[in-house]
Amino acid sequence: MIYLDNAATTLHKPPPVIEAVTQAMSAMGNAARGAHGGALEASRTVYNTRVKLAKLFHCPRPDHVVFTANSTEALNIAIHGLLRPGGHAVTTDCEHNSVLRPLYRLEEEGLDLSFVPADRQGRVSLEDFRRLLRPDTQAVVCTHASNLTGNLLDIRRIGELAHQQGALLIVDASQTAGAIPIDMEEMGIDVLCFTGHKGLMGPQGTGGLCIRPGVEIAPWKVGGSGVHSYDRRQPQEYPTRLEAGTLNGHGIAGLSAALDFLAEVGAEAIEEKERLLMNRFYQGVSGLEGVTVYGDFSQPRRSAIVTLNIRDYDSSAVSDELSETYGIATRPGAHCAPRMHEALGTTDRGAVRFSFSWFNTEAEVDAAIRAVLELTED
Amino acid sequence: MAEERLRYYILFANYEQGLALHDLLAEAGIPNRIAPAPRAIQGKLSCGMSLLLEPEAVEDARRCIAEHQAEYVDIVPLAGQIHARRDRYC
Repeated sequence: MIYLDNAATTLHKPPPVIEAVTQAMSAMGNAARGAHGGALEASRTVYNTRVKLAKLFHCPRPDHVVFTANSTEALNIAIHGLLRPGGHAVTTDCEHNSVLRPLYRLEEEGLDLSFVPADRQGRVSLEDFRRLLRPDTQAVVCTHASNLTGNLLDIRRIGELAHQQGALLIVDASQTAGAIPIDMEEMGIDVLCFTGHKGLMGPQGTGGLCIRPGVEIAPWKVGGSGVHSYDRRQPQEYPTRLEAGTLNGHGIAGLSAALDFLAEVGAEAIEEKERLLMNRFYQGVSGLEGVTVYGDFSQPRRSAIVTLNIRDYDSSAVSDELSETYGIATRPGAHCAPRMHEALGTTDRGAVRFSFSWFNTEAEVDAAIRAVLELTED
Repeated sequence: MAEERLRYYILFANYEQGLALHDLLAEAGIPNRIAPAPRAIQGKLSCGMSLLLEPEAVEDARRCIAEHQAEYVDIVPLAGQIHARRDRYC
């Protein structure tokens, strides 16, 4: 199988990730629960992974790296822990349902919600952010890159606009963490939500949020913390405040190994290879008769995604044909991004997303180009 | 030109329903394949998976569903849209 669905999850993981999970499952106790060897092994692994993530994302404090099961959970924690009914928030048409649904739920409870519109190429305008921000805006919640088009948003400039109005900036980095450099301090990010199983190449069930010191997120779940057991209230210190219950220590051990792999290979090398693969595919298909590619490919930096449709074909039929006839894995349909599809005009048939990772090859890309070419030749 | 062949898609409210019926049909020896649900027939359903049946398997599938009271939403015929390799080796 040629796996080109890396925006959903990276199927091919660095071998040390698999070894680390296996090793952890035979040696790891419960982090922050006791002081015997197994528990300490878990606590050290978890803490060291916080340190690595803080370094990667330029989060000022490792203890402000909070682990969750995925970025959806991280976004729910951030959105519900910071926004209140009666307030105002700004988001965009580019968002995944992991941002939209928590916001819609708060909207039903009285949150005033404004959307920055996207155009037919999925682009948003900074002028619209400026227009929609208000003195009572509590936060801008937006993605770093669209999971449908791969377009990047100018997070640094959006952060400046948000902070000028006293609003927080919550960023969904699901598509970029590990694949595109992120500097929380330089980009003005107050809360960064990430997942471990995509660009970071770690196990599913890992993710988290990095919180700028001074940002106070109310916990939505409370419970076992391993410390302050006689207190009736959840400890207020990060990360314990937001980590009630046993962590996915085995998964975090794998994520730690993945972070070592990323550091060894180098973020620049990974971004460059993925960019080359994406551009090779884009160059190969964008000029074909009957192929419509979505997104802004004039951007110098973007997520390694090429989304397209062929003739008037249903995207599910194309993706099924790619899988059954050519052995190529892609993602059709709506991609949990309803407003982005509305902006692109693709709600009726969806679109076929090709997404690339470090482990793909030029030969695989060329096979995908040939398959698309054949599908246009009906 | 070959006649357009209808294929039948069983649609579901979620993956769990679909995977359960996939196992049931397999146990009953009724050929079926998991496929993405075409947008054209998916309507407002949230589930992107379907079970694809050839026409000769549809009645057997209906009987199996009724016998086990299996959950599903609809069985919808749709003509195959893509024929890129149809005549390649003819």
